[in-house]
Amino acid sequence: MIARTTIERGLLWGTGAFLLSVPWLIPALADRFWVNVIAEILIWSLFASSVNLLFGYVGLLSFGQALFFGFGMYGVAIGVEKLGLGFWPALGLGVAAPVAMAFVAGVFAVRLTWHYFAIITVVFSLIFYFLALTMKPLTGGDDGISFTLPSTFRFGASEWGFAQEAFQYLFILFTVAACLYAMRRLLGSPLGKAFMAIRDNDVRASLIGLNVYWLRLIAFVIAGFLAGLSGALFAFFGRYASATYMFYHVSGEAVVWTIVGGAGTLLGPLVGTSLFIVIREVVSTHWQHHSLIVGAVAILIVIYAPRGVVGLWRDLLDRWSAPKS
Amino acid sequence: MENSNDPKVNRRSFLQYALAGGAATGVANLTIMKDLFAQAPAGPIVIGHHVELTGGFASWGYWHDKAARKAVDLINQGGGIAKRKVVLATEDTESNPASGARKLRNLIQRANAEFVMGSVHSGVMLAAIPIATELKTIYMSMGEATEATGSKGTRYSFRTGMDTYSIAAAGVPWCMENLGKNWTVIYADYAWGQSHFQETKVIVEKLGGKVVGNIPVPLDAKDFVPYLTQIPAETQVVFSIFFGSLSVAFYTQSKSMGIGKRAKMYSVSGTLEAIAPADIEGAAEGVYILENFPRMLKYKDDGFHKEHNKIMELDDIDAREAGSKRIMAKSHAWQSWEDLYTLKAAIETSGYKTRKDTEGVIRALEGLPMKNSLGHPQGDKLLRKEDHSGILDCYISLIENGRFEVKKKIPKEDLAKNMPVRHDLSKMPV
Repeated sequence: MIARTTIERGLLWGTGAFLLSVPWLIPALADRFWVNVIAEILIWSLFASSVNLLFGYVGLLSFGQALFFGFGMYGVAIGVEKLGLGFWPALGLGVAAPVAMAFVAGVFAVRLTWHYFAIITVVFSLIFYFLALTMKPLTGGDDGISFTLPSTFRFGASEWGFAQEAFQYLFILFTVAACLYAMRRLLGSPLGKAFMAIRDNDVRASLIGLNVYWLRLIAFVIAGFLAGLSGALFAFFGRYASATYMFYHVSGEAVVWTIVGGAGTLLGPLVGTSLFIVIREVVSTHWQHHSLIVGAVAILIVIYAPRGVVGLWRDLLDRWSAPKS
Repeated sequence: MENSNDPKVNRRSFLQYALAGGAATGVANLTIMKDLFAQAPAGPIVIGHHVELTGGFASWGYWHDKAARKAVDLINQGGGIAKRKVVLATEDTESNPASGARKLRNLIQRANAEFVMGSVHSGVMLAAIPIATELKTIYMSMGEATEATGSKGTRYSFRTGMDTYSIAAAGVPWCMENLGKNWTVIYADYAWGQSHFQETKVIVEKLGGKVVGNIPVPLDAKDFVPYLTQIPAETQVVFSIFFGSLSVAFYTQSKSMGIGKRAKMYSVSGTLEAIAPADIEGAAEGVYILENFPRMLKYKDDGFHKEHNKIMELDDIDAREAGSKRIMAKSHAWQSWEDLYTLKAAIETSGYKTRKDTEGVIRALEGLPMKNSLGHPQGDKLLRKEDHSGILDCYISLIENGRFEVKKKIPKEDLAKNMPVRHDLSKMPV
């Protein structure tokens, strides 16, 4: 019988090979459109990973991650359009701004837990959403800011940038993969173990000498970084930033993707995001009310697979690979 | 027949040859077929419609969708575009820029739309233009954000209708002359409202008037009293910019506070679009509205308008749909009808056959005149070459007894004079 780890490793390599081949494989088999859909799935799954880090590993349910996503988008758009920055400085601004914002919001938010924490994250998100909506000269309000893409690399006369579809896709893939790998290393480190100790029992964690407040703040800032980076990537991907992405509804979607995919598992957000975006893309062309299906699937998974799709998959593998008596 | 025991051909080498042969044939086939389709555009021409069927703009989107479908039927009955049948590919933007951007890629890359009739939602429209430009696809914008044919415009973005710039240029001069010179602008505090405020202020001041009040109202406002009490006493014209339920709330509360008795009320069609004044119990009585397609047939009383209303199943007074309570978003949705004819004219003039010929269509659209006809029931107009903007007749109407009674027609020549070119898009590279 094949061991569970062998199956999982094989699946991981297979998925990796598929993702690497997307810019060439998809146009040969289907519409090019799907290359962009997969790129979008990768970006949103990075965003959902920020929810996963907080909820799945630290036990903090945030409905305010859209705030950092929006800051990432605006960092890039304002950087390119208003400050005339190139790709890398704008990307830097798109990461630095949400990290700084996450630190400021986190100082207040992580003093609270559970529904109080969820509410304060929504409040932060709403405050900046309405501010962005009204500050049209800076943010473009709900009209947003569109911008012309700067090139990413330039060697002599040759340029590479997001205007080239394959380059755009691979840049997003490598960035998301690097973040997930870094997250995996983090979760395996003493810091990651401390996060999980707090998730399991914060009182016990403090009694063994962990500084719960600071550890939660660190996790909050790292999650802000992930959400901000995904927003920065999405701004480059869409050539656009808008206040509408800062609305807490956007955060709510990431929470659903994470829970359905499997909170507390590294690849759960990727699985949940893929599932819902593919359903949406397949159904929405034929039926406008696709969100009803999304809602029904979410309810069924939460009831029948509370550990999400990844949890369900692992249970099935365990049952299959368990020695038969 | 070869011997299967031949040492040169064993099972492994056979599979290798078969795979290599299959791959080579596949590649060759793809290459040949690609060129074949590129050279033979005899099939239907796909035009995308990027429209709000759900979300905040759905009440307008219904009419944009209906107008586009009716116009496509009409065009196909008349032989299509350049003798090619027109297929309309429709995607719902969900009134959301994120969905809208994705749906635009869907239209162009999946449904193979060669041209796109764009969104009336400014945020969606502005998110779409960079993508349409990158995918080298003409995008007929319908939202009112001036940036689409201004600072964010490209060779690929056109608009036959109006934006905040042209709306101010059309309405403000007449209002200054006839309603008063001291203005208060009260508006929903987001991009659309702010843009109207900025454009209007410039023209009011240019014509010697004064904006004595600037009152932004938060989008989540329920009670207008704190804002209406801020209107300065010296105000002669209250210019209001709200949308949907906020608009109804504004008209209702300003009437109950008697604002219309101490100043003239002026607004734009967007604030009462898809709403019948009679349905809001007279709250909008006495308000002057800038329209561009008279709601009542009698103010543009010709066969084309009449036939348009008949095809769209509208009554000739309120523009209400037969058998329903829906009111046509008349000053906007005509674009979804007319833009198909605009594209038809440009495609046929330029001799467009495949996507490679898009530049010719762009050149044909730049400066395209449109004659009052069934294809252009709103009336004569021009798609100005430099800024890709529609130059069209407008109407100042007064709400009297629940009806839009036209008081003044603003000819397109006056509009052109009042809105000098600010951005020359025709000099941008394709």
